[in-house]
Amino acid sequence: MLGISEIFEMFKNNMVNIPLIQPIIDALMNIPLVNYVVALVLWKPFFAIAILPGLGGIMLVLLLMVYWERKLTARIQWRVGPLEVFRPLRGLIQPMADGFRYFFQEVIVHVDAHRPYFVQLPILTFIPVLLPILFIPAGEIVAIRSPYAIQIIVALIALIPITIIGIGWASNSRFAYIGSVREAMMYFAYEVPFVIAVLAMILMYGSGDPYVIVEKQSVPGIIMNPIAFLVFFIATLMATSRLPFEIPEADQEIAFGPFVEYSGILFGIVMTLAYEKLYIMCLLMSILFFGGWSGFAIPLLGDLSPVIWLFVKAVVVMLIVALTRSIYPRFRLDQALRMGWTSMLAVSLVSLAVALAIRLSGWLG
Amino acid sequence: MKVEKVEFDPISRIIGHINAISVGVKQAIKPERITVEYPRERRKLPDNFRGLILFEKDRCISCFRCAFICPANAIQMELYDNYYPSIDYSKCILCHFCVDSCPTTALKQTKIHDVAFRDLEEMVVHTDEMINPPELVREDTVTVEYKINRELILERKKEVENLIVEVKPVERIEYHSACINPQNCIGCALCASVCPADAISVEINEKKVLSIDINKCTGCGLCVRECPTNTLGLVKR
Amino acid sequence: MREANEMKELSIDVPVEPPTELKPLFIPIPPEYVEDAYKKDEFLVLVGPQHPGSGHMRIIVRVDGDVIVEAIPDPGYVHRSMEKLAENRLYIQNIPLFERPAIMDNANFNLGYIRAIEEALDIEVPERAKYLRTIMAELCRIGTHLYDAAILAVFIGHTTGFMYPFAVRELICECLVKMTGARFTSSFIIPGGIRRDVDNGILNFVKKATFEIERRLKNFEKIFIKNPATIARLKDVGVLTKQEAIKYGVVGPFLRASGVEYDVRKVESYEAYDELDWEIVVADEGDGYSRFLVRVNEISQSLDIIRQAIGRIPEGDVISQDLFENVNANTKNPKDIRGAFYDVFTNLKLPLGETTTLTEAARGLLLYTIVSDGESNVPYRVRIVSPGWLYLRGFMESLKGERLADLQAIYGSFGYFPPEADR
Repeated sequence: MLGISEIFEMFKNNMVNIPLIQPIIDALMNIPLVNYVVALVLWKPFFAIAILPGLGGIMLVLLLMVYWERKLTARIQWRVGPLEVFRPLRGLIQPMADGFRYFFQEVIVHVDAHRPYFVQLPILTFIPVLLPILFIPAGEIVAIRSPYAIQIIVALIALIPITIIGIGWASNSRFAYIGSVREAMMYFAYEVPFVIAVLAMILMYGSGDPYVIVEKQSVPGIIMNPIAFLVFFIATLMATSRLPFEIPEADQEIAFGPFVEYSGILFGIVMTLAYEKLYIMCLLMSILFFGGWSGFAIPLLGDLSPVIWLFVKAVVVMLIVALTRSIYPRFRLDQALRMGWTSMLAVSLVSLAVALAIRLSGWLG
Repeated sequence: MKVEKVEFDPISRIIGHINAISVGVKQAIKPERITVEYPRERRKLPDNFRGLILFEKDRCISCFRCAFICPANAIQMELYDNYYPSIDYSKCILCHFCVDSCPTTALKQTKIHDVAFRDLEEMVVHTDEMINPPELVREDTVTVEYKINRELILERKKEVENLIVEVKPVERIEYHSACINPQNCIGCALCASVCPADAISVEINEKKVLSIDINKCTGCGLCVRECPTNTLGLVKR
Repeated sequence: MREANEMKELSIDVPVEPPTELKPLFIPIPPEYVEDAYKKDEFLVLVGPQHPGSGHMRIIVRVDGDVIVEAIPDPGYVHRSMEKLAENRLYIQNIPLFERPAIMDNANFNLGYIRAIEEALDIEVPERAKYLRTIMAELCRIGTHLYDAAILAVFIGHTTGFMYPFAVRELICECLVKMTGARFTSSFIIPGGIRRDVDNGILNFVKKATFEIERRLKNFEKIFIKNPATIARLKDVGVLTKQEAIKYGVVGPFLRASGVEYDVRKVESYEAYDELDWEIVVADEGDGYSRFLVRVNEISQSLDIIRQAIGRIPEGDVISQDLFENVNANTKNPKDIRGAFYDVFTNLKLPLGETTTLTEAARGLLLYTIVSDGESNVPYRVRIVSPGWLYLRGFMESLKGERLADLQAIYGSFGYFPPEADR
């Protein structure tokens, strides 16, 4: 049996070290009870899940991404975008205002819905979204360290569509039904090329351990194997149902598909699901292709520096992904499926060959 | 003319993707936006803009033309010292048939297009409210004009546009009412009762006599329209 | 089309009851049809009227899996009984009414009605007015085509493709507001001419605007028209062959997209069209993309027509002198109707009989028939056959055998506009 003091010791021995705010932490650690909280928050595994790159990061990304996406789309479309909610900041708090609006809207659960699942599934979706974060390391800050981390992350990402299909089933409406079938189909379309692209990178680095992968990226992975990146990028668009593959949601065709019956805060939660998934995949993408958390260390931030590098890289990728929304229309489901199983599969196999060639050449040792 | 065939082979597809992305990126960096931030800025409107209608009482000859022509039945004549128009803006479609019908330019167009009403009853704008322009809360400090020299330029000027347009009265051919077929008269006195200027008096004895005071007559033509027997007509002065 | 049929299908004999929601609602199909569909392992999807991709109408789509077997339209949600309303109004008061079916296309809709009046009364329209009417009609045609392109774009999920045409249309609105005083619903065309002369400076602005429209449309072309994803969505979708298009009575650009060279502006030329140099745009494929491309090309043709018309416009009156005969008008200004509108037009009486005109509105052939009893100043009967109503059948037929996701793409490629069809 672990006593409280032992657990506290465990926390204390594995805390995030941030020189910038070290005096404050030291002061807080001397206060009884508060020190337990501080120790828990700064305990590396907890910090990874709850703050960065975990939940806190997701929240930050959601606020930033919604604003950025609307503003960028507006700019491309000769509009201005959100502006009137707090004008001095050019409408920066618009996503927060939207969130508040969702909070105070009525949540309607219609008669035909499977009530328990309909209400709880949107909340349960946070579990498969947060599970991969357990295995995403950022320098020293990591929840579970595993030599097979990349493989586990890919496997856990595959869990996310199941909740969406569950949402569609619980909604019990024909548009939701069509939407969840489309979601399942899209899953078939991207999963195989996506897995092959990741496998190519694992083969190239010779390990599924993020630490090994980051260490070996003296040249970023995108330059070593751009073909795998292309496949990974398109698969990300497909997986997160961004245009041109916004097929499961397709508001003009099936009126937001699986989420058609949701309203109020429940809709607010399911709407963010795609962004959360995008965030996870961008984290994975930065590890595989952009050198992960490597970057010059900022001494004042200590352990936080690599996390911030990883976060910034992921966010930058997300900001670029936002561009596709204003450039492309939506493909049809069969076209996306055909693309997944012909050209993308072929290109992913080429990327596998490239990876094999690099591996055999012994460049990465 | 045949529509040009659009290539769809892999190479032109890649070119298409690149073109689309390049336009997106180009516009993201330097957008050609044409937004006018309306309450703060205001688009410059031409003088013939069909906005809210103002009324000049002195010019009105109570001829009812505006009320008769209105396709939406928005104009009601209200009785003050004479009959004057009132406009129900919940019905008005701003076609300005009334403005074009007014022979004396008593109804005038303005550039006002953004009046807020509290309820439907308030949307009936009575004659006395039409004489002066309505109260507007104006936030605009900048007037934007669309100008084109080679490319569209939004010319922003720091000035507040005057929304009231000076309207020149039309050159009117003056008419007066006259008895053109006196033998038709049945002495119903409808003409006298509708005349807004009290210019007609009817004397009924063996001979029915209509007398029209030409100096009072405004030439509105109401009596001509009202006469059931085609007795009256308009004559050039 | 239906590849699924070639494979052997596994059928599970599960008794399926038609859902209760199909019973209480008013649906223009017999209950047997619903039961029949559900017995055959198919089901009905009601697209609209509260659907982001249906417009003001309902399409009852019978689908087998993802493939549309039959589409039954349920129009009439925005029916305003214009023909009946017109019988209680003066001829002149019908002008604002008849531009309501398609407010983007107001000049063409007015033009048809007014030409019918002019034909019945035998009024000669001054040359300058003819040219100005042509310019307005073409501006409205471009505006409508841009509007339809925007709706098509948003139907297939391209929001930028939605915003660009609307931004370009702003220029057209600016031209129209300068010419007529209203952004649309201009009610500017009157029997015997137009309401007032348009200044040459404004015409110069319109000419410059055509070049700006062309320049801005290049961006639109790159990001939407020639975008490979757009082509993939629209190509070979909703094909109507030449024979089918003729058989189902498709009109306008959609008929021309199937390879039929027919345009009322050429066949029965009106206004200044025969004096200007332009071509009919046709395509062979008859699919959604060619229907779209034909309209895109018509925009450039229309821009050309406008430029030519502005170049050749003669000076002179804009209101026919015939109108001022026999009326005691308060003014007799042949350049501005102001002050004389009532005197000239209230007692307009058409001679006994029937007059019919054909007009090429933006979405196709537009027919007006006015029946007059020869005595009253209101029409006895007005018949409008709007293009939307004419090509609705072709639209529904082209849906057959396509996928459910293509419904919106085909809808957009036809630019179907319920208020116009329902009148």
